[in-house]
Amino acid sequence: MAWITKNTAHEPIERRDEPFLTDAMKTKLEADVLPRFPTKRAALLPTLHEIQHTYGWIPPQALDEAATFLDIAPAEVLDTATFYEEYYLKPKGRHLIQICQSIACELCGHENLLDKCIEKLGIEHGETTEDGRYTLVALECLGACGGAPAVLLNETLYECVTWEHLEAEIDALK
Amino acid sequence: MTLENPILLKRIPTPPWGDVKDRQVVTYDQYVATGGYVGLRKALEAQPAELVDLVKESQLRGRGGAGFSCGMKWSFMPPPDGEPRYLAVNADESEPGTFKDRLLMECDPHILLEGIAICMHTCQLDTAYIYIRGEYHLQAKVLEQAIAEAYANNIFGENSICGKINDRTPNCYVHRGAGAYICGEETALLESLEGKRGWPRVKPPFPAVAGAFGRPTVINNVETLACLGPIVEHGAGWFKTMGRASTMGENVPGSYGPKLFGMSGHLNRPGVYEEHLGIKMSELIENHCGGMRNGKKFKSAIPGGVSMGFLTPDQYDAELDFDIGRRYGVLGLGTAGVIVMDEDTSIVSMTRNIVRFFARESCGQCTPCREGSGWLYQMLCRIERGEGAFKDIDLMDELARSMGAMPGTTICGLADGTNWAVKTAIEKFRHEFEALCKPTLVQVSVNA
Repeated sequence: MAWITKNTAHEPIERRDEPFLTDAMKTKLEADVLPRFPTKRAALLPTLHEIQHTYGWIPPQALDEAATFLDIAPAEVLDTATFYEEYYLKPKGRHLIQICQSIACELCGHENLLDKCIEKLGIEHGETTEDGRYTLVALECLGACGGAPAVLLNETLYECVTWEHLEAEIDALK
Repeated sequence: MTLENPILLKRIPTPPWGDVKDRQVVTYDQYVATGGYVGLRKALEAQPAELVDLVKESQLRGRGGAGFSCGMKWSFMPPPDGEPRYLAVNADESEPGTFKDRLLMECDPHILLEGIAICMHTCQLDTAYIYIRGEYHLQAKVLEQAIAEAYANNIFGENSICGKINDRTPNCYVHRGAGAYICGEETALLESLEGKRGWPRVKPPFPAVAGAFGRPTVINNVETLACLGPIVEHGAGWFKTMGRASTMGENVPGSYGPKLFGMSGHLNRPGVYEEHLGIKMSELIENHCGGMRNGKKFKSAIPGGVSMGFLTPDQYDAELDFDIGRRYGVLGLGTAGVIVMDEDTSIVSMTRNIVRFFARESCGQCTPCREGSGWLYQMLCRIERGEGAFKDIDLMDELARSMGAMPGTTICGLADGTNWAVKTAIEKFRHEFEALCKPTLVQVSVNA
């Protein structure tokens, strides 16, 4: 939930020498994204998407680098990054299994999928398996109600999912 | 009254005209070969003011949920003053039960781009941002590809057939959200576009005066924009042959044009169907969706996304138009994403599901919504477990009905939507809640 605050001010930031927001990424953003907007801050969501897409999550150091890149305060980056569910500020599994739990999917049996997933992976929703392979998320409406129950595996949507189908897809993710 | 030919789904195979298995992305060439961009070319011959009048005359109402007159919205825009003006396309389709815009963007992206170009010309907007929800990965890619085609064919860009708009090169970009329902609220969308958290703004100023980056901005839904090409091409009179006038009085705005209905829930063939506004829900369920799943009886439906509230079993024949709210005691037509429930459905559980959605998606800005939705969720969970009390039902009902408790105290409509679901559930299915609750007052017998 968006409004839960964390005591981030006192958390030490682990740093590495090599930047997360690489020069190649910056060049790409400067060429394609920044000219779209009258302010630099407007490029924050695309920048965070780029970082998350590359590393699977957004490390604190990357937030800092995004702030420098866009000439805004780190607090402003944190403010935005913590608001959106899609941004992971802690490492997540290599593969993201997102099961829709909204009304149409509940009507069409999402609970069975979720329970079986929990049983198979041995984790609750919101958690990551110990080997770092899967993160399981029960999320709100995927906008695929006509194909309920719907599951988003990484960036691919599956509709009218049965457990046999989903299990096979999960196993195929290395 | 059934639609003779598909309008918005002209190129997207959909029963009864086609088979969903034949769906594929319509390319620029295919779009043009089937009469695409004719509306835009016709629009470019007209003056912007004429086009605003045309859209006003067509009585096109916003397809994003509120049903506000599109022409009226455009007429609020101040005259150009030399500075930038924006179009924000609301493709943040996140209301549970709604998946119609996804189909348009996934299969026929150019119908949206044509609408965007017409809107940009009409309102003199130089830049368009398509704000698409983060979960729509495939749709964002399809749109990017279609926009590249549109630039290559001079719909947008330096050599655009629109020429200079607002003395600038017309541009169109995809902007991906990151998983927040609230960003579908128009001012939250603008905040998010500016790189901030999606907190709705206090209005006024309205976006037409100070929208994205403090500049005049038009915000339209995907389906609304998709209606523009056909309206310009065939005229307002043609558009008004579909749908119907209001039955609520002469001065009430009508419900004209075709509409995409997203049918989901306990149906044999759920999916997006196109029909006249004002079609009976029973017709959609029986003729288009192949009836109720497993031959069960109809119990309830939510007419347009979960914030609209529940219909009762005897409202099975409800006509789906913009007057539905006044006729059947729900909030309105919303996005026309109809969620159908059969006789075995627990309304208490569905209400709990809906309220959980709002509790999770509340942006946290206004206290009554942030706290209220969470407490409502806890109460509903308690009732569902069989641990609730009658006074819980009364308290929820009172909260939902009292303007100034939770509804009416917040910046945006999220809290109102939450309470419409709760209010209609209790009003229409009170017995289900009561059946799960214990009486509050325990009568103590005194042995004399």
